[in-house]
Amino acid sequence: MIGRRRPPGRDGIMADTSGPYRILVVDDEPDLEPLVLQRMRRAIRSGRYQFVFAQNGVEALETLNQDDEIDMVLSDINMPQMDGLALLSHIPDVAPDIHAVIISAYGDMKNIRSAMNLGAFDFVTKPVDFEDLRITIERALTNLEAWREATASRERLVALENELDVANKMQQSILPTEFPGQPGFQIYGSMIPARVVGGDFFDVIYLDNGRIGLAVADVSDKGVPAALFMMASRTLLKSAAMGLKSPREVLTEVNDLLYDDNDAMMFVTLFYAVYDPTTGEMTYANGGHNAPLIAHVDGTSTVLPGTNGIALGVMPGMNYDERTISISTGDTVVFYTDGVTEAVNEDGEEFGMERLQQVFTGQPVRDAEASTQAVFDAVNQFAGNAAQFDDITCLIFRRSET
Amino acid sequence: MAIDFQRNEGTLIIEAAERVDSTNAQRFLEDLDAAIEPTDQVVILDMEKLTYISSAGLRVVLQTAKTLQRQNSGFALCALSGTVREVFEISGFDQVIAIHPSQDEAIAALKG
Repeated sequence: MIGRRRPPGRDGIMADTSGPYRILVVDDEPDLEPLVLQRMRRAIRSGRYQFVFAQNGVEALETLNQDDEIDMVLSDINMPQMDGLALLSHIPDVAPDIHAVIISAYGDMKNIRSAMNLGAFDFVTKPVDFEDLRITIERALTNLEAWREATASRERLVALENELDVANKMQQSILPTEFPGQPGFQIYGSMIPARVVGGDFFDVIYLDNGRIGLAVADVSDKGVPAALFMMASRTLLKSAAMGLKSPREVLTEVNDLLYDDNDAMMFVTLFYAVYDPTTGEMTYANGGHNAPLIAHVDGTSTVLPGTNGIALGVMPGMNYDERTISISTGDTVVFYTDGVTEAVNEDGEEFGMERLQQVFTGQPVRDAEASTQAVFDAVNQFAGNAAQFDDITCLIFRRSET
Repeated sequence: MAIDFQRNEGTLIIEAAERVDSTNAQRFLEDLDAAIEPTDQVVILDMEKLTYISSAGLRVVLQTAKTLQRQNSGFALCALSGTVREVFEISGFDQVIAIHPSQDEAIAALKG
């Protein structure tokens, strides 16, 4: 293994490992340089080592500042201007990812201890035994490689966490946060993101003639690619919805557009409904999503009748069925994602559809925000201390008195 | 998640067990890729022992279906448990991937 000093993990790639190890030798005695070059000639010729030389600590720091490919410092202790111990104390500032080996007088235990305490990896004693020096250098380099690898892994992990953080921010940024009240109906939606996983989103789209589009969706994966797919889904949905189209036409169009260039086979399950306040009717189409619940004012609830349709982005030219139902005054339509029904408790049981229905069974009429909160409370109470694996999303539409 | 597979006269039967979710979906994909050979004419994914599959897992099944379609191999799922079948039904993927009650029926349908 051959190494170079680079910021490890940059671009998510391991430190460049081509080229020889570069070793900076620091000694004020001029005879060490020819000796090193002579005794290490084989390792130099084979391309294993490259040596650069400095006369004291000041020169060494200058070299380290300019030459970022040095892997290791081999330094004497007693030197004019800046000695080896002072040099050691400065190395972490200019070159944090290199190792230092100290050359000291035989028996100078006090300075050797000080050097080790200042972070030297090892030491050799004068007069230098070059076989011992070679072994010491190799040991230091092996350790350096392992250390660089560990650093790179840690940085990759940090990069991954950053990526998920970016994805979470993108997701949060597209969710509506204000639900302006209108005579005749109320809307409220919210999402509890899972710690790392998750691709839920919902949207409220204001259409012509006072009609209102309601969407809830779940993208199949996590991370930045999934977040980008989510952004694309949401944008395509919005523009398709604005074009005066019926939900089935909207889903057909979004599906075909998402399918283009989707080699990764990402997909989004999407339920889309349009409410028309002039008729009190809701027309909907479903792309592979959980069917919403409708809770009536008498305390009963039913799942919206199913419509045929596959999750979007997978297969072009798919047809989506459409249905129209009448929403009575006081009815609450509960749109949600599988993070609600598949939330698990400490015994591994799922929350399920029945528990969701119970949230509304025999309950006094609540407004849309209170209904959303009631769903979240029921899920949280059920889950107890069990980890949340998926985003939990709930979007509530309630037809109210005009 | 665990997979087990056996091959017989160009038919590869893969049995998937336990849970596939976003924490192990990538490994599921890698395991399937490693098991499948370009010479397999028929691939059957037996899900009898699979207790849960998330949308990330569904994506792996779709990717596998696409790979096999490219190499002109037959592909079907079989023996889906209740919850797993429900996931395929809700997502609508039961309309684009063949699903059979048992291995024998899947083999008969693909080879017949």
